[in-house]
Amino acid sequence: MAGIPNVRLRLFNRAENVLLVRQALSGLAETVGLDAIAHNDVSTAVTEACNNVILHAYDGGEGPLDVELTSTPEGIDVIVRDRGVGIRPGVKTQEEISDGIGLPVIQALSDSVEFRNLPGGGTEVAMHFESAQEHPLQPSPDADGAELEAIDRDMPADLTVMTVAPTEVARSVVPRVLSTLAARAYFSTDRISDTQLLADALVAQTDGSISSSHLSVGVSVAPRNLELHIGPLRSGRADELFGQAAAGNLGGVLERLSDGHTISATGSSEMLDLRVAQRS
Amino acid sequence: MRWQRHRDEAAREQLIRRYMPLARALARRYGRSSEPFEDLLQVASMGLVKAVDRYDASRGSPFQSFAVPTILGEMRRYFRDSGWAIHVPRGAQERALKVRDAQERISNATGRAPTANQIAQYLELDLEDVVDALQAIRAYETVSLDAPRGSGDDEIVAYGDSIGREDERYELVELDATVSAALGHLPARDRLVLKLRFVDDLTQTEIAERVGISQMQVSRLLRRSLEQLRSMTDAPAGAR
Repeated sequence: MAGIPNVRLRLFNRAENVLLVRQALSGLAETVGLDAIAHNDVSTAVTEACNNVILHAYDGGEGPLDVELTSTPEGIDVIVRDRGVGIRPGVKTQEEISDGIGLPVIQALSDSVEFRNLPGGGTEVAMHFESAQEHPLQPSPDADGAELEAIDRDMPADLTVMTVAPTEVARSVVPRVLSTLAARAYFSTDRISDTQLLADALVAQTDGSISSSHLSVGVSVAPRNLELHIGPLRSGRADELFGQAAAGNLGGVLERLSDGHTISATGSSEMLDLRVAQRS
Repeated sequence: MRWQRHRDEAAREQLIRRYMPLARALARRYGRSSEPFEDLLQVASMGLVKAVDRYDASRGSPFQSFAVPTILGEMRRYFRDSGWAIHVPRGAQERALKVRDAQERISNATGRAPTANQIAQYLELDLEDVVDALQAIRAYETVSLDAPRGSGDDEIVAYGDSIGREDERYELVELDATVSAALGHLPARDRLVLKLRFVDDLTQTEIAERVGISQMQVSRLLRRSLEQLRSMTDAPAGAR
């Protein structure tokens, strides 16, 4: 089974969040050069697994939906995880025949799938797709699962969190996910574009400043407002991202594209908080 | 199954009709909006007919668990044989053009840039399609997407050059010293757009109006310029 994920999304089981998963997958697919039909297979299967969590995992209530995407030389691995009541294939709703096809679809489109019950409640669906990739990613030697858990703990519980590595994946995934959130926050197209530019700048400028293997961006979304929580950065680096004097950085660009920032320390590293608003 | 035991055509028809919602549900799930839904539904229905004809009840698995992979296999084969993977970019690009045009039409009518939701409503598309299109617009560097709107490129460059070159450079120096050195390598129009966005803090829509290009073009131009600046300022000193 796969090692450290290239993309981890920490979401709530809301229908709108499937779009974030699909956008993150598109970003990874683009980076590794996944063939379009294989991409469609993975995307369809992952959508089914997520919809299962949205509809059935919490008995109509809300709870965590975690998704991990990993590219290895052997293919694409996806894990969809919930903390709910578990997969219940027998559930029937109005659409008697078409409902309950999620699991057969996952089984038909993936090369292998495992359903695991998690200690403490919840279910994990682990899918493997033996899909040819033009530029598969090599497992990162310095990635460490415990580090990912630590990043997760530092992110406030109510945020939408994406944790991404390496930089080439972040370059494609972060702008997609952030612009999707900007669209959800009713940003205008020019502000959505600004958000994409900001995401480009963030990924480029945090490369080498992250104090972990992965870049993590937590986002809270409100109408016309996005709050980004970015880290973990090495001490002193957050300020440098904004410092105009620092050689080779476009700090002024980050500042212009956002509407205020603060820097907070978390243990040995620091987080950069950025606000992006729809200006009227 | 009754129809297989007795070659009962009526029972076969009934079975197909009964499982048509399954074919429809799979077409909806597996299909992409780049493909007309009716075409996909037809392919899925063909898959269903195959499943009905080949199903062997004596093997003990329920019909549905045999039908789902059969129908999906049919759709997959259709995508492969029809060169769908090659057509995807074209379909996406056509939608990107539609989204760009809608964006401009709504902007012109209301005087402000629309939200992605407004474009989705206007074009009767899913938000996902619009998000994908906005992504595509920023990525593609095609002639059609880059064609100047309203005024020619020469005029834009002329406009850029009409601004005092030294003044402009001076203001951009305040932005960042290293960046300013790299700016000299960009064309006049790109420098102008950068200045309007990052020094004067105009919105992309305001810049589009001022320079006579579309907001989407401003967006792409900014992206490209920032990327160029980044690669120039990231390069080792000797390579600059």
